[in-house]
Amino acid sequence: MITATDLCKHFKVHKRPPGFAAALKSIVSRKYEIVKAVDGVTFKIERGERVGFLGPNGAGKTTTLKVLSGLLHPTSGEVLVEGFVPFERKPELLRKITLVMGQKSQLIWDLPPSETYAMNRAVFDVPKDQFEHTLKELTELLELGDLVDKPARQLSLGERMKCELAAALLHQPTTLFLDEPTIGLDVAMQVAIRDFVRSYNQKHEATVLLTSHYMDDVVALCPRIIVIDQGKLIHDGDLRQLIKARDPDKRVSFTLASVVDDEALAKLGMVMAKDGKRVTLRVTERELPGVIGELLGTMKVLDLAIEDPPLEDILRDMFGKAKRESKPVVATSKDAS
Amino acid sequence: MTKYLRLLAIQMRISIASAIAYRANFIIEGVMSAAWLGLTLFPLVVLYDERKSVNGWDLPSALIVMAYFTALRALLEGIVSPSLTALVEKIRDGSFDYVLLKPIDAQVVVSASRYEPWKLFDFAGAIAIAVYAFVKRGYAPSGGELALGLGMFVAGTIAMYSLWIVCAAASFWVGRLDNLMFLLGAIFDTARWPIAVFPGAWRFVFTFVIPVAVMTTFPAMALLGTLDARTIAATVGGALLMLVLSRLVWRAAIRNYTSASS
Amino acid sequence: MRSTTVRTIRALPTLLRIGVAETVAYRAEFLVWILTTTQPLIMMSLWTSVARDQSFHGFTSAAFVAYYLSNLIVRQLTGNWVAWQMMDEIRMGTMAMRLLRPIHPFFAYVSSHVAAIPFRTLVALPLAVILLVTSGADNLSHDPVQLAMLPISIGLAWLLTFAILFAIGSLAFFMTQTMALANLYFGLYALLSGYLLPLALMPRLAAVAAWLPFRYTLDVPVLIMTRTMSGEELAGLLGRQAAWVAITLFLALQIWHAGVRRFESVGG
Repeated sequence: MITATDLCKHFKVHKRPPGFAAALKSIVSRKYEIVKAVDGVTFKIERGERVGFLGPNGAGKTTTLKVLSGLLHPTSGEVLVEGFVPFERKPELLRKITLVMGQKSQLIWDLPPSETYAMNRAVFDVPKDQFEHTLKELTELLELGDLVDKPARQLSLGERMKCELAAALLHQPTTLFLDEPTIGLDVAMQVAIRDFVRSYNQKHEATVLLTSHYMDDVVALCPRIIVIDQGKLIHDGDLRQLIKARDPDKRVSFTLASVVDDEALAKLGMVMAKDGKRVTLRVTERELPGVIGELLGTMKVLDLAIEDPPLEDILRDMFGKAKRESKPVVATSKDAS
Repeated sequence: MTKYLRLLAIQMRISIASAIAYRANFIIEGVMSAAWLGLTLFPLVVLYDERKSVNGWDLPSALIVMAYFTALRALLEGIVSPSLTALVEKIRDGSFDYVLLKPIDAQVVVSASRYEPWKLFDFAGAIAIAVYAFVKRGYAPSGGELALGLGMFVAGTIAMYSLWIVCAAASFWVGRLDNLMFLLGAIFDTARWPIAVFPGAWRFVFTFVIPVAVMTTFPAMALLGTLDARTIAATVGGALLMLVLSRLVWRAAIRNYTSASS
Repeated sequence: MRSTTVRTIRALPTLLRIGVAETVAYRAEFLVWILTTTQPLIMMSLWTSVARDQSFHGFTSAAFVAYYLSNLIVRQLTGNWVAWQMMDEIRMGTMAMRLLRPIHPFFAYVSSHVAAIPFRTLVALPLAVILLVTSGADNLSHDPVQLAMLPISIGLAWLLTFAILFAIGSLAFFMTQTMALANLYFGLYALLSGYLLPLALMPRLAAVAAWLPFRYTLDVPVLIMTRTMSGEELAGLLGRQAAWVAITLFLALQIWHAGVRRFESVGG
């Protein structure tokens, strides 16, 4: 179980304006600015949940993960991971957690991943047969094959990421912190990693905290999402509920056989997009059956799709709104599937 | 404890494997080692060509100091320096975070993470110089002197290591520190001389401020049988004190790192 | 070709400014770098102690002070790290980026090093004053013509050091062990340039050193500072210095070009 209570993390950053004179001046005196990376965040995550952290760049997601894994100690507030205070970095806790950073590698660069695995095994004191069993399992699930015997620098980004994941899970942690694990990977690899994480979570009842820029990662993997913007928590709950709460209207997309004028379309619902014969309408749930009936009845339609609004739009709107209102909206919900 | 030993063994194995991977290394390193030894001895030769003794130190005794210096330098360039360079690299590319995530003491793991096995040549060179010095002197050290000389060498190693760890810890605050290491190396270079050859003020600095004397001159005196008990005690005590202080500095550096890295 | 030159010249002020900004970005390191060349000071204290009661090979204590402080000043002004910079960049792969820019990397490196010179002068200046005050008349040259030639000699020494290190850095395109080579260079430099010991103390070695470029990176400017010499001797030294600069620059650029060709065919 992971709990954060009123977590704050502030950084002192050195600000220097450009120019020669300023450069010289900075030798003797420097101006510092306080950046509030995390500003009063509270949440509770139960064992076995899969939670996604969403937010724009610089929102505080990575900082939060680092505090949870003990790499940073908080400026104020309380954090507990499986009953331990993370920044004390007690070995018992370190054996239970793992952090994977998509942008930084723990593999030894010039050597095959197998050497890194040997190191990790010694470090985590994993008994030989358990180690071999785990390695076999991970090799199968991640389809590593003979990648582990090639020097890490010779692997492609996707191959390296798979080996990284294996390195991170050799000690069978029960809490996984994944910071942008699919960054820079192609779609097939992203899907593979998502599937792997899901099966690891189900098999070992491991808690998974994931941050990602890719909406698909979060939508596919995390029933619960926590949205952070400018250091503040602005949503915590079920993904579908978020969409419903923010924008309950459906999107109806269809292709017409022949062009129809805007007036006729506007009668059905708000026109979101129109590209020749391809149209997207915004329709409330209540009106939906009527609109569909009218559409199919009065116009010739080649194909039809009824969808929730895209998550990107909702989030973009949320972040923009948070800037304007600066009042967090918290809707908590406890059903994780 | 066994965990650490196993880890050290693996790190050593990996370093040696990488070193052997390049066959040309063997020749190059051997040549470099011999060349460096020659270079080191040059000023000594120039000095003692003209003078018989300087402030009570004749050529053989100065050679003993040089031997200790060479041996210490072999340890420095063989273990301490490569490991701490690796540390600075890790801090720079951010992968030091992974070190902190492992359930092991970061200082231990970081201090012996990388090796340059060919520096063993230098070690052999050091012993050769010492043997030659005693041959020139005409008599060998007694068993007691040998033991004391060895013990003081350990103290000297501890002193040297503590200085370098403090330097490496500083890199947490300042970022790029190859130059501080270089500076430390330059200061360490004074250890090749018996401190008696330096004027009074420097002697004080090199004994109490940056204990270069602890690293080579005192061990040499021990081997030559000219070291008194009080200095022995002070040296050992000083080395241990440095170790403790360096540990505190390291801990402070980690605390700072975990509050400042974003 | 002409437009590249023009573009390079136009870009120089910016390159210099950024070079300064880079130097200053890390305050502590910058200070430490200035302090790193302490070897002459240590040598100085050693030899002045040795020569205190009795001069050593004709050098009095004061003469040693003059020698080593001049040594330090010249070293500060000619200090160079381009070989290490290049080795790093080739290893990390950032050299590829540099090759894509329209400015010849040689000039980029030169400007970032030149940018550091003002700061190094700030350190060298107090030393120069101390030198004047402590060494007295006998140990420094007074000839105005000679002293006027000093900046030229130092400039040539800088260029020569840079060219040698640039050549070594370029070898990193071909081999992985350039670090060992750079260390070897430094060892030879320390001995044969007068950095470690005045060449006058080692007559047999000095004879060998006369045929090598190392002494022209340090010893020659130091001599100009500390010994009054005839016009012919001065001209001879400067001439040979310039010749070495020309030869080394040519060789260095050849190695560079060969290296880049190889780099581009083999890949980063």
